[in-house]
Amino acid sequence: MKFLRTRIERLGSGVLETGRAAVELWMVYVGTVAGLFRRGKNRPRGELARQMHAIGNKSLVFIIVTLGFIGMVMTYEACMQLSRITGDYSQVGSQFLRLIISDFGPTLAGLMLATRVGAGIAAEIGSMKVTEQIDALRMSGVLPIDYLIVPRFIASLVMTLMLSVIGATVMYTAGGLTAQYSFGVNPNLYFDISQIRPRHVILMVIKALSYGAAIPVVAGFCGLRARGSSEGVGWATTAAVIGGSFAVIILDFLISAAALFLTGGDL
Amino acid sequence: MSDAAIHIHGVHKSYGRREVLAGISLDVPAGSRLGLIGPAASGKSVIAKLACGLEQPDKGEIIVLGEDMVGKREVQLGPVRRRIGMLFQNYALFDFLTVERNVAFPLEQRGGMAADEIKAKVTERIKSVGLAGSEQKLTAELSGGMKKRVGIARATVADAELVIYDEPTAGLDPVTTQKIYDLLTADQVRTKATVLAISSDVVALAQFVDEIAFLYQGHIIYRGPAATIADAPDPLVRQFVRGELEGPLEDVRKAQT
Repeated sequence: MKFLRTRIERLGSGVLETGRAAVELWMVYVGTVAGLFRRGKNRPRGELARQMHAIGNKSLVFIIVTLGFIGMVMTYEACMQLSRITGDYSQVGSQFLRLIISDFGPTLAGLMLATRVGAGIAAEIGSMKVTEQIDALRMSGVLPIDYLIVPRFIASLVMTLMLSVIGATVMYTAGGLTAQYSFGVNPNLYFDISQIRPRHVILMVIKALSYGAAIPVVAGFCGLRARGSSEGVGWATTAAVIGGSFAVIILDFLISAAALFLTGGDL
Repeated sequence: MSDAAIHIHGVHKSYGRREVLAGISLDVPAGSRLGLIGPAASGKSVIAKLACGLEQPDKGEIIVLGEDMVGKREVQLGPVRRRIGMLFQNYALFDFLTVERNVAFPLEQRGGMAADEIKAKVTERIKSVGLAGSEQKLTAELSGGMKKRVGIARATVADAELVIYDEPTAGLDPVTTQKIYDLLTADQVRTKATVLAISSDVVALAQFVDEIAFLYQGHIIYRGPAATIADAPDPLVRQFVRGELEGPLEDVRKAQT
């Protein structure tokens, strides 16, 4: 009986804690959006540029390498399968481009950024939390969300979009080179953009901006929930990577589903 | 309680199942200096954080500088917090800022001062805590004692109406401790600020504050003049202050284990 009661108590407290965390996450998001419209006099000078450099420039090589290799592998696999079935490579490039623009480009870039950028933000804010620097900010009448999360939010919005475009370009180009040198696909046939419609580009922009918004909010939320010492920072970092990646995948599903619904399945 | 800078009444605070504060009441009259002592993990720092609105009580009333601190949102607490100076136990210095920028931070955030005025005030404050020449250093380059002094400079730079010192001299040598308390005393005399000082160094603390309160098992069990704390009528307080190994504190601890 005692065992059962303990189990139920644990389950109950787990559910309550999850509910509380969801409310807190929502409050961080609302606070961040509200912070965009508050006067930024409390924010450190040059912070936005610093964050854009940290999130964007420092992720550039990582995004180029990872998305480039993924582009190569995916094209190679697609060509390999086609060679076994029809041997017709005429649609590889155009279909791959459509897929990259409407999904793989922003989503894979988002997943990569959720790990690199999310971990960085959570570790930074988490260590400030456990060393009471967040409390010191609050004592000066500064809202930690305004000071710490808002600049990262703006930087992430801009840089996720830019990195998605760069990543998609690299992915497509790397795929084209693989198709040409491994399967002899004509570059003129591969680099065919005739099937791209404005809706594909709009979808890419929406996804990139959504991921760019979600990653710093989730990471900042995890950092602000860090407790104790270095163990708490470790927890926050892990939670930010998991939560950020999860957010990207869920948003990808929801936005894709909404796009399919709105276009009547003609994406 | 209009003349109390800090008015805490019937405050309860628990972390999980552990009740840290069990309905404490504490008033700190405006312009006075109160010391708060007690065994480790007895909730002294929790009281400091509750007084600043950094933590919220489970139950009870907290009025600081005439402002109700309970149930307020962060935005609402900002103005009253700017009137409070706080020295954190573990310094809480901004590791991304230099010593100078750390000390200037409260003044910059408060606004209303020209940059050269801030610079002059910060330079004077850094000099007064004996850190002249360290203005451009990052906090990572400082020793523990130096960090503590930067924390004191930051807590006092804005001439706050209420200053809370959480272990102001922990980790400092006796000479520096005396210098720091002299500085804090001179500062308080000049600004007439209310002071709440938390310290384990009861002897040094007693020279700085007017009164000392003893926090034990979630209650303030004693409050009296600092000068006579070693002869307090309560045997628990006497044993704690004198640092005696045998006595009621040990008896209670043994009974609990």
